[in-house]
Amino acid sequence: MPEPAAGAIELSGIGKEFPLRRGRSVQALDGFDLTVEHGEFVAILGPSGCGKSTVLRLVAGLEQATLGEVRVEGRHPGELIREHRLGVAFQEHALLPWASARANVALPFKVAGRPVDRERVDELLALVGLEGFADARPRQLSGGMRQRVAIARALALKPDVLLLDEPFGALDAVTRRRMNLELARIWLAQRITTLLVTHDVAEAVLLADRVVVMTGRPGRVRHVQRVELPRPRGTQVTREPAFHALVDRLTGLLDEAEQPGTAA
Amino acid sequence: MNSGIGAGLTNGPSARGVPLAIAGVVLLLVVVELIGRLGLAGPSWPPLSVVLEYLTTPSAQRVLGRAVTATASAAVLGFVLGTLVGVALAVLGSLLPAFGPGLDRLAAVVNAIPLIALGPLLINTAGRAATPTLVAALAAGFAVFVAATSALAAASESQRDVFTVLGAGRLATLLRLRLPAGLPLIVDGLTLAAPAAVLGAVIGEWFGAPRGIGVLLVSAMQNFQANLLWSAALSASVLALAGYLVLLGVRRAVERRFT
Repeated sequence: MPEPAAGAIELSGIGKEFPLRRGRSVQALDGFDLTVEHGEFVAILGPSGCGKSTVLRLVAGLEQATLGEVRVEGRHPGELIREHRLGVAFQEHALLPWASARANVALPFKVAGRPVDRERVDELLALVGLEGFADARPRQLSGGMRQRVAIARALALKPDVLLLDEPFGALDAVTRRRMNLELARIWLAQRITTLLVTHDVAEAVLLADRVVVMTGRPGRVRHVQRVELPRPRGTQVTREPAFHALVDRLTGLLDEAEQPGTAA
Repeated sequence: MNSGIGAGLTNGPSARGVPLAIAGVVLLLVVVELIGRLGLAGPSWPPLSVVLEYLTTPSAQRVLGRAVTATASAAVLGFVLGTLVGVALAVLGSLLPAFGPGLDRLAAVVNAIPLIALGPLLINTAGRAATPTLVAALAAGFAVFVAATSALAAASESQRDVFTVLGAGRLATLLRLRLPAGLPLIVDGLTLAAPAAVLGAVIGEWFGAPRGIGVLLVSAMQNFQANLLWSAALSASVLALAGYLVLLGVRRAVERRFT
């Protein structure tokens, strides 16, 4: 269905309060605005506890905003959930331990009550480089492989929007770097509107078209950085001075964001 | 009951603990034998060897065989019935969260009524023949309900979030996530419910079932048949232990498959 010129994800004037005990509450987000265009990859960077995961959970329909409006494809996230048009992967792989890699990737079909598209499942397993491990159970796979299965699962139903919350946060540095390059390749093959939440600056710069730096609590947009590096972005990109200049600049902004009181 | 207790009871002895466990059992048997031999507890405590010898006589085997068959079938039937009702109620509480706390309280109240007090009531309403099965079902059902209720909440938060975002309905989430993720804990509950069912069946028989170990216990006690009394008690223990060991095997298989 054709959408007006609106972005794929639109957050306007978002405020989010979490109630604490005795009527007190904590303000996670305050006046947060963000528009993600169709087919765009946006990374949200921020100090821990700045509410960046909350942004993702709002878009995923897992939380409701206290103030403001969240629109995905011009509609409420709940409507997209009902139509099985969102894909998500978290820091914990959240795979079903009793099911094979193939069955885990096929899960979204079953949950949606649709016949499993075996061709699509095998194609995704090949895309994430696990064609030889289709029948392996999650505990037989390494941490990096499990995350690849989780990403393949998120892509199974060709979602309108892909949501990634620190998907490589639990991996060691070497595996993480390799997974970043993998994801850059996978994303280029699918070109799905993607929102990535991370605290790894190099990861954000390598993957995203735009990087959003958030302030500390309550979370607001501090800076939006367009990343002009050409795709495909492989290992050679990570050696370029332009890449490092961007990483340094964003790291500096992140450090400032972490100082209380300096936030704009 | 929590999973910690369940795990402790169902993991069985570690490889290193096996010799120690055997030594403990042997020591217990020797003590029982000695108390009987020395007559420390009077004529109602025969030596274990005499009880075992009594068990080899055909008449004892006939009497006990009939009783054990009756008790075992009441226990198994009650166990199955209790498991079905316990799991069904837990599933209901999971599908309709509004009912959850109410069901918890109802189960706690039912469990707070001593089975001994329920016996006469059931005899009058359900009849002598059905009472052992029903008391067994009550005893097993509570253990299963408590285990299943926590088991259905055992899936991790991120797994539940993934199901939510994928647009899974309550039923799909139950069948594809909550039940399989909770199965090891449910079987934990079954491991505790099996001996409880045997105990429930024996208590149910106590009030005048047509036959069973409970009936034997009462008549042997009233007629001062110490050997028969001990044989009946021994049979009940072996039955409960057998149920526990079978479920322990099931649990290990489930553990391998579902985690």
